[in-house]
Amino acid sequence: MLEGAEFYFNVDHGYLEGLVRGCKASLLTQQDYINLVQCETLEDVKIHLQTTDYGNFLANQTNPLTVSKIDTEMRKKLCREFEYFWNHSLEPLSTFFTYMTCSYMIDNVILLMNGALQKKSVKEILVKCHPLGRFTEMEAVNIAETPSDLFNAVLVETPLAPFFQDCMSENTLDELNIELLRNKLYKSYLEAFYKFCKNHGDVTAEIMCPILEFEADRRAFIITLNSFGTELSKDDRETLYPTCGKLYPEGLRLLAQAEDFEQMRRVADHYGVYKPLFEAVGDGSGGKTLEDVFYEREVQMNVLAFNRQFHYGVFYAYTKLKEQEMRNIVWIAECTSQRHRTKINSYIPIV
Amino acid sequence: MPIGDWATCEEASSRPQCGGPMAARDLRTRVDSLLLQLLRDLEELEAKRAALNARVEEGWLSLSKARYAMGAKSVGPLQYASRMEPQVCVYTSEAQDGLQKFWVMRASVQTPEDVGPREAALRRRKGHTRTPELESSPAPRDPLNWFGILVPHSLRHAQTSFREGLQLAADMASLQIRIDWGRSQLRGLQEKLKQLEPESA
Repeated sequence: MLEGAEFYFNVDHGYLEGLVRGCKASLLTQQDYINLVQCETLEDVKIHLQTTDYGNFLANQTNPLTVSKIDTEMRKKLCREFEYFWNHSLEPLSTFFTYMTCSYMIDNVILLMNGALQKKSVKEILVKCHPLGRFTEMEAVNIAETPSDLFNAVLVETPLAPFFQDCMSENTLDELNIELLRNKLYKSYLEAFYKFCKNHGDVTAEIMCPILEFEADRRAFIITLNSFGTELSKDDRETLYPTCGKLYPEGLRLLAQAEDFEQMRRVADHYGVYKPLFEAVGDGSGGKTLEDVFYEREVQMNVLAFNRQFHYGVFYAYTKLKEQEMRNIVWIAECTSQRHRTKINSYIPIV
Repeated sequence: MPIGDWATCEEASSRPQCGGPMAARDLRTRVDSLLLQLLRDLEELEAKRAALNARVEEGWLSLSKARYAMGAKSVGPLQYASRMEPQVCVYTSEAQDGLQKFWVMRASVQTPEDVGPREAALRRRKGHTRTPELESSPAPRDPLNWFGILVPHSLRHAQTSFREGLQLAADMASLQIRIDWGRSQLRGLQEKLKQLEPESA
């Protein structure tokens, strides 16, 4: 690819970049969050959201208003914006968007399979699936008994097909195997996405590759943290780590041997980017959790992506920032509806 | 107070004319001690109620934190079956003073029939204590695994909070029964005292 995106980027993608920057400008501000935090009921939250870019998106909701309904409607709005971008995009931006939707597709497949384990009807789950991860073969996912079945019968025509190489097995899909499948699929997906961005080169690679490296390392840390005290063996755990991050290969090997949070922290101390993050983690239930700290770092990186022009990273960054905004609103709404206001300010403002 | 005196006092109360002051003093002592016990029980009940509220609030907040970390639709009604087997059951037993006590214990799978997920039925065993038999079927699955194997710590924390809350709830039920019994006893004794007082006055 020729360097010098500033010469030809706007020909194909200039309109969409302008649009996404406009959308980014309408994200909730600190003042909006201050207003939301002062709400007493979910109806108040709805009224405050009407003054923002969300507008009357909850107008058609029947009483009573629940946090789940708010979340579903926000997702639908994001989906409409995303699909507008996707439908108006040209290659290679369209492939970039396809890569972005793969993560939601993986989540939907896992949701459907877990639902099958719990004997839920497909219709019930389809309603709750993420709209960005929709694909035509979704209804057939629950008939698969093994990962190979799932691939051959259902997913071979979807964009998820290339991510199945490491996941083929004849084990029946119980909870452990579904968790392993989810993480292996995501690992393959992330590595493929990383390779796509790297091969594209130019500003897109400069912006997206660090973001995806952070995502890979974050997954490695979180998988390790959540695997303490479970039946997941250390060898299995190591196969789930994505290899496109800074931790590969020595960090991942060390992380696979970690048995508690302190050992994980010592691994992170070897890396200048992660040492301050782990230092910001509070002890016990008072301070921030590791997930909070990682979300903050993600928001930082995504906001910085808007400082450069002529790259695809703005679309990825906008989607992720919008998701963080949704998480913030859901958190504030849950604290409001549970009348438990001590932690209501734990949201991450997007400046 | 030796048992013998009690016998004379009891006979005395059925014959209001004789043994008035002694019977009244004994009754008053009984009323006092019962009242003190009642107040102690009430205090304990209030403390347990506050603790239960705190545990339940904590549990729900931890669930919200888990939703923040995992995604809003990953911790919700989609993850559990509509019919599930209880992990914990309530047993009742009669204590020496004839009052019912509630126990919360882990359910052990005891029925000989094949209990698979297809046949999950809600069973609440109440009424008689059981000695747990050796189980031949596999141990019941941890409900935490409905949400995946790699769950965040907030979800585990929620499970602990709710489990502690369960124990508190059983204790509160036993205390409530004791308090109701205490109140009825107190009323009965106060009636008897009223009967004795006019005579001895």
